[in-house]
Amino acid sequence: MAGFSREVARRIFAEELKSSNYSFRDGEEQNQYAPQYLLTPTGAKCNRVFIVATLIEKDDIGGDTEYWRGRLVDPTSSILIYAGQYQPEAAQILANMEAPAFVAVVGKPNLYKTEDGNIIISLRAESIQQVDEATRNLWVMDTARRTLERLAALKNAKPVPVSSEFATADKVTSVAPPQDAERALEHYHTDIEHYRQMTLRALSSLKAELAKNGIESKIEDRATPESESLPTPAKAEPEEKPATRKSKGKKSESLSAWPESENDEEVETFNLTKKS
Amino acid sequence: MKELVDQISARLRDQKIEVPDEEIASRLKKLIDDFRVPESEARRSVLNYFLKEHGIMPQVRASSEKVKISEIKEAGKWVDLEVKVLDLWEPATEAISQTGLIGDASGSMKFVKWAKSELPNLELGQSYLLKRMVTDEFQGRFSVKLNRTSQIEPLEKEVEARPASRAAQAVKVVEITEPGRWVDLKVKVAQLWETNSDAISQSGLVGDETGSIKFVKWAKADLSNMEEGKSYLLRNLVTDEFQGRFSVKLNRTSQIEPLDVDVEIGSQAAEFSGALVDVQKGSGLIKRCPVCKRSLAKGVCSEHGKVEGTYDLRIKAVLDDGRRVQDVLINRETTERLVGLTLDEAKQMAMEALDHEVVRSLIESKLMGRYFSITGPRVDRYLLVETINDVPPVTESRVDELMAEVEVI
Repeated sequence: MAGFSREVARRIFAEELKSSNYSFRDGEEQNQYAPQYLLTPTGAKCNRVFIVATLIEKDDIGGDTEYWRGRLVDPTSSILIYAGQYQPEAAQILANMEAPAFVAVVGKPNLYKTEDGNIIISLRAESIQQVDEATRNLWVMDTARRTLERLAALKNAKPVPVSSEFATADKVTSVAPPQDAERALEHYHTDIEHYRQMTLRALSSLKAELAKNGIESKIEDRATPESESLPTPAKAEPEEKPATRKSKGKKSESLSAWPESENDEEVETFNLTKKS
Repeated sequence: MKELVDQISARLRDQKIEVPDEEIASRLKKLIDDFRVPESEARRSVLNYFLKEHGIMPQVRASSEKVKISEIKEAGKWVDLEVKVLDLWEPATEAISQTGLIGDASGSMKFVKWAKSELPNLELGQSYLLKRMVTDEFQGRFSVKLNRTSQIEPLEKEVEARPASRAAQAVKVVEITEPGRWVDLKVKVAQLWETNSDAISQSGLVGDETGSIKFVKWAKADLSNMEEGKSYLLRNLVTDEFQGRFSVKLNRTSQIEPLDVDVEIGSQAAEFSGALVDVQKGSGLIKRCPVCKRSLAKGVCSEHGKVEGTYDLRIKAVLDDGRRVQDVLINRETTERLVGLTLDEAKQMAMEALDHEVVRSLIESKLMGRYFSITGPRVDRYLLVETINDVPPVTESRVDELMAEVEVI
């Protein structure tokens, strides 16, 4: 009857998404039709993800049929998105888009294991749309808030012992699954401080950008603006990203505002999980 | 500390054991101060110590604990309950042999008895001691499951169950905010829906001046049918919740009294703020039945067959705040303003492209991914948009506020 309800699109920073490696099916019946979830280190149980970030590259990596891949960058890291013949609208929009651009993507997380055992998380895009910077800023705030809520839940949660009393007492009935936070702690032994710092970094880079924009728009009435938020006050001009990592020489000169993707190899090692 | 000591000595007195407060206090202090034992743990330990001291074995600590319904706040716990069966429902699957509502003086709760448990059936209105059940939780709502290890013991005395013993409360639709409550409603039947189960004799939408709510009348309730547009006093309904939406159920104990006055159906304005994550099929340029205003599928109205439809513009979309989703409906006027496209222009577009879908694509390209705040009445699962605004842009001070929150976590 009213059994169907749409899965909420979770808000997760790219760094956290990339650190996820725990995927499972869940539902009344544990069959192949049960929805698939990815549990992230802070305990977001996601079947669907909403991300607003900067598209910095896009390529058609398909053979006979188009299969588009894009790289999204948010204040924490980068993530790959895919759209092929089963996501025709998303693929079409991605094909016609010029990078760099701010994009809003709704997608399903996809966990892929390489031959050497590495796990790569990507998003299969359900929809892609170009948006403005204001929307992207709202997303950073939104995602920081949701991450914060999950971190608070983690703090209050206790990891579940691997073989708990009730797990063995009755294997027949579905003993209530542990809460997402507990499950995440058990699997990842999540370092809360690490993700707290990640959230802070995302917010401070957003703040620095806002400060810079504010300065630009007020440039006529303020001659030499001082930006308090900068960790390196020696610089006269506020930089968006305090510590730019060493560039690997990839095509990112124009995008110094964004952190570099650390492992560019992942693009190469990623075998196309194309459904034929 | 004083409080803990009092609690323990009260529990001991229940067992006719007198222990000087000082003795209790000193044991407690040792555990809490010297050995950093959490208070709750210390209390249990001290209590058990004195019980054992006086030859009383602590309650079977095996695994299940006798509790009151209101004390169930965690899933995956083994519990014993003394309850009365308040209602029995039709199990949705063969894996379940019985399901319904049980209650004690502290509240009521859903129970599920698995077919595999091979336990005897519970009878409506009977009181039982149910042993070794597992607690479960779904969307913040708790239930107990009877499995193979569970036991059922009929009780001679009747368990006083709150909802059954206490008269149902007369409430307004908007006040229904939790499941498992017994209520009386003065409502008008707004819609009757086709039922798809023999267990249900009628279902639809009823409303009062504060809003509308789904109702289900069980076949077993053996109540007379209600008519659309008529007003009734409905007595002794149980509230229910499914995925955040509430409904009322009419069962065997419920009553229906027709009213002479006409209840006016109003609606409570709701608000939602989130990102627009989907523009659904059926958005954009559509045709409606000239008789009933339903939207047509391939020129056919589900009620009136093939009709000459009239054009309309609307949006069916989904907003999502990362925690919940909200289906929204946006009417023509608001759609025109929001998208910057009039109905005539939309018709023109569709004509040139020989495809209605271009209008939906345009709407999608303008709205997808954006953050909106909306208000409007909630009808069933939809929020009918009256106002829709962009969420104001992020300011530095808002970032500062959030950073401060992250700092203190």
